Formats: sequence, C-alpha cells, structure tokens
Amino acid sequence: MLQPIDILNLFLPILYASVFAAYIYDFFTEKKFVNNSKRIILFVTLILHALYLISRTIEFDHPPITSKFEIFSIIAFSIGFSYFILELLTDIRGTGAFIILFSLGFQIVSSLFIEHNYTVPEVLRNRLLGLHVVNALLGYSGITISAVYGLLFILLYKNLKANKFGLVFNRLPSLEILEKLSFYSAVIGFILLTIAIIIGTIWLPSAFPNFSYLDPKLIGTFFVWIVYGIGILRKLFGNLYGKKVIFFSLTGFAIAIISLIITSTLGKTFHSFY
Amino acid sequence: MNLVGISINHKTSPLDLREALHLNHDEIVTLIPRLKNSLFSEGVVISTCNRTEIFGFPQNQELDLSSIIDELIRFKPVNEIKQEHFLKFFSCGAVRHLFSVASGIDSMIIGDSQILGQVKEAFEISEDLDFAGAALRRIFDTAIKTGKRAIKETTISEGAVTVSYAAVQVVEKIFSSLDKKSALVIGAGETGELAAVHLRDKGIGKIAIANRTIERAEKLAKKIHGEIVPFQFYKEHLHNFDIVISATSSNNIIVSYDDIKSAVKKRKNTPLILMDIAVPRDIDPDVKKIDNVFYHDMDSLKIIVDQNLQKRKDQIPLVQKIIMEEMIGFFGWFNTLDVVPTIKTMRLFFEEIRNDELEKIKNKVSDEDFIKIEDMTRRMIGRILHNPTVKLREFAETGANIKEVAANTMILKDLFNLGSIPSNGKGINEDKNNPEGTNEKK
Repeated sequence: MLQPIDILNLFLPILYASVFAAYIYDFFTEKKFVNNSKRIILFVTLILHALYLISRTIEFDHPPITSKFEIFSIIAFSIGFSYFILELLTDIRGTGAFIILFSLGFQIVSSLFIEHNYTVPEVLRNRLLGLHVVNALLGYSGITISAVYGLLFILLYKNLKANKFGLVFNRLPSLEILEKLSFYSAVIGFILLTIAIIIGTIWLPSAFPNFSYLDPKLIGTFFVWIVYGIGILRKLFGNLYGKKVIFFSLTGFAIAIISLIITSTLGKTFHSFY
Repeated sequence: MNLVGISINHKTSPLDLREALHLNHDEIVTLIPRLKNSLFSEGVVISTCNRTEIFGFPQNQELDLSSIIDELIRFKPVNEIKQEHFLKFFSCGAVRHLFSVASGIDSMIIGDSQILGQVKEAFEISEDLDFAGAALRRIFDTAIKTGKRAIKETTISEGAVTVSYAAVQVVEKIFSSLDKKSALVIGAGETGELAAVHLRDKGIGKIAIANRTIERAEKLAKKIHGEIVPFQFYKEHLHNFDIVISATSSNNIIVSYDDIKSAVKKRKNTPLILMDIAVPRDIDPDVKKIDNVFYHDMDSLKIIVDQNLQKRKDQIPLVQKIIMEEMIGFFGWFNTLDVVPTIKTMRLFFEEIRNDELEKIKNKVSDEDFIKIEDMTRRMIGRILHNPTVKLREFAETGANIKEVAANTMILKDLFNLGSIPSNGKGINEDKNNPEGTNEKK
C-alpha cells in the first residue's frame, strides 16, 4: 500500500493548489463555470485526502497523529472539510480561497517532510488519544476559519469606511454575514476544543501519572478556551457586535498560535510525543 | 426584407425636443390609423421619454423615409425639429437597431431593462389595432427574446447606476438582509423618494419619512407604506434606525457629529448607516470617524455608479454577439419564406402527376395491387423530392446570399414550369411579409 500512499502524498498539494487556484480565479473573475466546478474539485480533493489518511492508518497501524507532519496533513484536511461543510450550509462561495490557502500551506509542509513511521510509542495508539486529537484539530480548524472570516470582516469594514469599492467590496459577502460566519465557526471550534479538553483530562492521569496542570500547553489551551468562552458568552448574552466579536476571535487565534509556537519551541511539555 | 424605421433619441436630439415629441398611449393609438392609411401595411410606434421610433413595412416599395418623419411631425408639430434629428433605418439595419434598443445597449443608461417592457407594450398596441402581421410579430418576438437573453446571459443590467440605488447596494454590503432593519429617510423630494422606494423594494422591515412639509411626507409614507417622523423631532429618533438617508435641500448641516455620537451611544454601538445624498451635504462628514458608523455621500456613491456604468459598457460586445446570433436566426427564418411556396408548389406538381398516373391504372389492377402501387409511388416521390427540398431550405436558412436563394428557386420553377401550375391560391403567390395570410393584401 506504500506506493498509493506516496502517490497521494505527492498529489495532495497539487490538488489543494488546484482548489485554491479555482477559488482565487473565481474570486477575481466570477465565471459561472468555475463557480460551479470549484466545489466539485474541493470535494474530490477531500475524498482523496480522507483515503490517504485512512490508508496511512491501515498501513502503519496507528492514526496519523504521531508526527508534526502527519498532524499538519490532518489540519489541512479538517480546515478544508470544515470549510466545505460551511459552504454547503451557507452557500457563500466567495471566501474559499482565503481558507483553502491554509489547507494548501499545511499540506505542502506535510507532504515535503512526512516520513513512514511504523514504530511509535504505545501511548499514541490509544483510542481516547485519537478522539482527543481529532476533536482538538477540528476545534483549531474552527477557530482558524473564524479568524480568517474575522480578517475578511476587518478588510471589508476598512474598505467601506474608506469608500473603496473595489474587488473586496464586490466579492465579499456583507459584514453581517462575515461576522456570523466568524462567530459560528468560533462556536463550533470552541465546542470541539471543549470536548478535546474533557477527553484529555480523563485520559491524562492514566497515560501520564506525573503530568502537571501547570504544563505550558495546558495553560495555553486554557487561555484560548477562556478567551473564546468569554467572547461567545458576551455575544450571546451581552451587547457584542461587529468589530468587538471579531476582536475576540482574532485574540483567541493569536493566543492559540503563540501558545503553539512557545510549547513546540521553548517550553518543555509532556505534550511532545515525537 | 423591406422593414424601415426612423428614430429620434438621446443621441440625436436634445431633451426638450424628445419631450415635445413624446407620444402617450392615446396619441399612438391615434397616429397608427394615419400611418396605416398613408404609409405602412403594418408597423409599430415606440415612444419613451428618451426616444420615439416608428418601424414598419411600407405599402409602397419606393417609400421615402423622410415622409414618415413628415407624417410624425404633422401629427405632433414641434418647433425647431428637423430631419437631421432623426436616424433612418432600412432592412437589416432596422432590425439590428430594434434589437439594440430592446437589449438596452442603445439606451441613455446602458442596460436599462425598462425599455424591454416598453417595446413589448408598443407591439401589443399595434397588434390590438390590427397593424401587425406575422413577420412583424416574429421581428418583435425576436427583439424581446434578444432583450431577455441580454439580461440573462450578460451583466448588462446589473449593478446600481443611480445614486439612490448605489446607496441601497452599500447598505446590502453591511446588513445581510433588510427585513429586520429600519430606515429613516429625511427629505421627501425626488431623490429621497427614489431611495425610499428602493429600500421598500428590497424588503426593509420598517421605514419612516421626515420632511419639512408634512403633506409631502404623508404622501410618500402612504406610497411606501411607511411611518412619519415629525421633522422637528427627527434628531431624537435617529437611534431608532439602522439606516438614515438624508436628501433634503437644506443649505446647512442638519445632522451633526454630536447627534450621531449620541445616537450610536444609545444604540449600544450597533452599526448605523448614514447615506447623505443631498447637495450640499446634510450630515457632518466627520461622523465617519465614529466606530460602527458607515457614512457615504454623493461623491462616494458616484464612484459605485461610475464603476457599474463602466462594467455595463464592457458588456456591450457580448450583447452585440447575442444580437448577431438572433439576427442570423431571424433572417434564416425570413429567407425560408421565399422558398416555402416554391417547395409547396413543387410537391403539389409531383403529387398531381402521381395522382393522374394512378387514376389511369386504377381500373386495370386489383385493389390490393393498387394499394401497393399507390404506396410505392408515394415513397418514390418522397425520395425524389427529399434532396431538392432539403437543399432549398439549407440555401435559405444559411441566408448568406439572398440572390443565390432567388436564383435557385427560379431555376427550379423554370425546370418544372411551376409558375403555371395552379396552386389553389396558395404557394408561389403568398406574401412574404404575411406568410400566415392573416393580413390584407398589400
């Protein structure tokens, strides 16, 4: 099965590049043909990507979460998949290029550096860990998409304020829709992140008897969770509109990125399995 | 094709002349019998605020197009109007011009879709007055089809091309739907009214009018099913509205920075859209510095209008392509009108020979054999005539060379002496402009 895995590994960046090209071309030209076919290209790419991830799981006898580059591939998939579902639900097709760009970036890095890993620590074969990782990655995809919509909101907001009526004005959906998309993505991301945290909390003591709740990764994740939690509650029960909603989304995302960088480079965490 | 047409429009004459020559429904109804009596066997009169046009099939092949203009001016005398203010069209040019008008590319505001309805209405008047036959119907049906295709297949009619509509377009970039939003229109003049109507058409949840003259406010509010806010109190109500459109003729600022600052505070920072479509401006432009306030004035909205007009202009080549396709289709049909009678006569000629010969042998063979012979001869004639029929239609439908079609038809007629074949009043003598025989003979 190695050969198909290698072929898919080679083709996935090309497929994501094609999806990105279709979405960006449509963003600039709004051609009917591209508008309809880009979703099909994305769907095919996601199917092949799912096949690739399943093949890896079968071939190497563990879920593809044992290295950074396997995880990057899952992130690429979950961002693409989350966007696909969002597009199907809302039928807003003009923003895909900005989201798929992330999938493309993650998949390129993954495909370049991924290795065949038959031997992994036993802890990584645990099913609860698999669930924890899947929820966490989908959760992070949600907040990434939320942040992208947040940035698009800021972009359109500034264009409207400055009386610029170019491409951004013509192609992006309304501010209210961008705010909703950002908020709903954040809510979905928050829920999945919460599930990941709960599973992690249940699983941690049995897998790592000596872990500490002051672990930088746990603290970082907690901060991200708190920021999104406050933002969502204020939006639901308070008077949070427009830019302020986006502020919470972007702050949460920034903390998530900083936390990721610190824990994977500077801090010592039990969360590094590879 | 002997369709002719004359046109006075925004490209050929100033507004006052066009206005003076504009014909209302009743005037068109009165003019048509005069045209019918003296000039045309069938025709159509189109008159809008920007153009008056007459198309028709002349009774006399030598008709001087100036006489149509003279007749129009005699009917509606206008000082200073000259022949030079009119365009004259003949045959293919007349059809192309009509298709251009129907598709909106000849309009003052390119892509204006109202003209399509006006063309349709003009033809219906002619039809009601028995002034339109099958050929004219086909021309106008194709013109309307061309207009519809232009709207559907291109973006010639898309985008706001008036300041009022551009204001609504900006509103739609801020709010996803207007059904739960409210708007206050200050000033019930022409611009304010247009903006209010656009908002109502877009399904605004609540709309209110504030105007110095209360009667005018009431009149507009009634028209758009809106409410009235007394002009002296409108500032106290600003916070109740998501959209404020100001279009008064005031010489001074009537909505200050502080008014808006206070309204936004009361609105707990929810977005507020301010559209200042008055000249001079009604709203202090500094309000744009306030967070969640979207302020746009005439200058900024004009940018959208100009962009959209340019986009429409860019669509003209695509519309012209549609016009060309429809013209080819139309003339393909029209040219077949020449050959249809010939084909009918040719078939009749062969059918009569077959019947004669069958009659001769009817009593010499058994009934069973006769049926077989009858069937065989029918198939034989069918096969013999298949190629000439198809070829003649092909010649006509390609429509590349009408003379060639005529020459081929003539050869066929000469070869079989078809001109002398009695055709029960049908066939070779049919009128091309009236293929269904619905009109009186010209």
